[in-house]
Amino acid sequence: MTTKEAPPITRSAPHKRRLKAPGNRNFSKPARYVMLAALVLFSGFPLYWMLNTALSQDSELYGQAQGWWPHWERLADFGDLIGSVPIFKWLTNSVVIAGGTTLLSLIFAVLAGYALSRFKFHGKGAAGFLLFATQMLPEALLVVPIYALFASLGLLNGMGGLILANVAFTMPVSVWIIKGAIDAIPYEIEEAAAVDGCPRVTILSLVLTPLILPSIAAAAVINFFDGWNEFLLAKTFIAERDLWPASVGLASFIGQYLTSLNSVMAAALLFTLPALIFFLLVQRRIVSGLTAGSVKG
Amino acid sequence: MAKLSLRNISKRFGDTQVIHDFSADVDNGEFLVLLGASGSGKSTLLRIIAGLTDAGAGDIIFDNLRVNRQSPRERDIAFVFQSYALYPHLTVRENIAFPLALDRFKGWHHIPGISAIARRVYGSSKEIVKQVANVSSMLELDEYANRKPGGLSGGQRQRVALARALIRNPSMFLLDEPLSNLDAKLRAELRGEIVRLHRLTGKTFVYVTHDQVEAMTMATQIVILHNGVVQQHATPQEIYARPANTYVARFIGSPPMNLMTAAVNDGQPALGGLRLPAPEQLRLRLRNGSVTLGLRPEHLTVTADVGGPGLAGTVRRIEDLGADTLIGVQPDPALGLKMWELNQDDLLWIRQTGQTRLMAGDPCTVTPEARMASYFDGDTGVNLAPADETSTALLPG
Repeated sequence: MTTKEAPPITRSAPHKRRLKAPGNRNFSKPARYVMLAALVLFSGFPLYWMLNTALSQDSELYGQAQGWWPHWERLADFGDLIGSVPIFKWLTNSVVIAGGTTLLSLIFAVLAGYALSRFKFHGKGAAGFLLFATQMLPEALLVVPIYALFASLGLLNGMGGLILANVAFTMPVSVWIIKGAIDAIPYEIEEAAAVDGCPRVTILSLVLTPLILPSIAAAAVINFFDGWNEFLLAKTFIAERDLWPASVGLASFIGQYLTSLNSVMAAALLFTLPALIFFLLVQRRIVSGLTAGSVKG
Repeated sequence: MAKLSLRNISKRFGDTQVIHDFSADVDNGEFLVLLGASGSGKSTLLRIIAGLTDAGAGDIIFDNLRVNRQSPRERDIAFVFQSYALYPHLTVRENIAFPLALDRFKGWHHIPGISAIARRVYGSSKEIVKQVANVSSMLELDEYANRKPGGLSGGQRQRVALARALIRNPSMFLLDEPLSNLDAKLRAELRGEIVRLHRLTGKTFVYVTHDQVEAMTMATQIVILHNGVVQQHATPQEIYARPANTYVARFIGSPPMNLMTAAVNDGQPALGGLRLPAPEQLRLRLRNGSVTLGLRPEHLTVTADVGGPGLAGTVRRIEDLGADTLIGVQPDPALGLKMWELNQDDLLWIRQTGQTRLMAGDPCTVTPEARMASYFDGDTGVNLAPADETSTALLPG
């Protein structure tokens, strides 16, 4: 008789809360979805509006109110619009410039970041500070002296010069990102590698670089987008139409008297896509690197 | 296989002298433990032997070869770090194979990019895979071979670190507090493991620790360092039985040796009125006045009798450890017994096997086993009994 009256142990309420994953306990699942949907809408709408504009008629854009739904049937004209300018040539130039900037900047940044993190030398503080000095001056201020310098070095009107100039502006941030990442890696790991027979360059390439990969990926994103979006230097240094990056090419759509908005948006859409793809590729590395983390011995 | 000789090693960091004129010889196959509190310079000394830190002055000699200018790699040593220092991005298997793969690198393999490929190619060569499998099974790591260090417990990580050291078949193993990040049970287990590896390889081991239990159980020789100065270099038994000075006496043993001031009249020491028979050679060295007398807790007995021969006192603390009981006795103030350095709570600690019927607050009598006493100079703290004459006589048991 007494056993029947024993309270069932499993029915205690407090356990329910524990079933939820930590960090999610503030909102219910539908609420979270609604919020995420709002965020996606908020950040995705401009992109959608670009597409919509690109597929609209001039008359719609300048005359009546623009419709909410894109005219998919105009997709064929879309091709004609971008066929009238060397847009793919420009995009290729942009990829070369952004890719070159990223690569060069990362190589320098890993070496400089390592030196700033691990070596003791005179003027170390000054060196770190001077790297930031370039960030303190606006790009526009430096365009003229760099132009003069490049003119005398014969670097104008070429992608090599543009890459160099971009690296000068983007590298310092990468150096500090990578210095911070190396600071966080225990020095013993390097010593273990030295005992195992690695010279310093191999310690850097075999042991440290894989460990700071998430930070390298983060720096790569910053460098790539700096190179991809860069306009001022490219506009100033490169006169030849075929050598333009897409940013300059895109601007050329804006005419003094006539701006074909749908063409601009069509080109802009194409301009966005490679950057988006690059980010999606690298973003996985950043996230996987962060979750894998176990740098702590 | 290497015999290690250190000659007049000195090292300073800025204004601090970390190691003062250290010299030692370690024969091939010895297990030398460098023991000291933190800041004693023991780790620095090990790093100097390894080549991770420059020796400020002096010579490091491996088998008649001065290696001061050689890199850690050239010295052919293996180093086990307190923090394990495993490569977090490599699996256990790759971690263990790493030094072997690197051994096969030619100059151009070190070019960035190529080095990663070369490591993989060599790491998966038949011979290396086989060696890795051997070492892994020796340390019972087979089932974790494909895990990364992040997925292992502390004990497993340290096993991987040992495996990585072992696989290279180095001339000497250097271990820097390898067990201090582990819990007590694992520590005891890995202690046995390391001793087993030492017997198995027959190589010279130099082991740094602040843990006297590790030193006593593993070492064939112990060097006790204090502020960069060697206090004693001897076998564990010798250090326990005949500590070279009061620092060593207090450092080794748990609870440490009871130290107190004894009066000396005509070469005859007396403790709180109790005359102690001292060996003849020793009596000649005792200056009239006072001497510091040391007695290990197991060389004192305590009884509930009052008024018998011995030191009267009151029981203050009882610590029952199961097999032994530690009894803290406060000597009768009327005896005028002066503790040389305050023992815990100014108590005389006595170790007794089994349990005791004494209770805190009981009056009691403590009887010293006089022939086991150590005598230290009252001013310098140096042990007055010369090593060769007394060390065997003083061996417990």
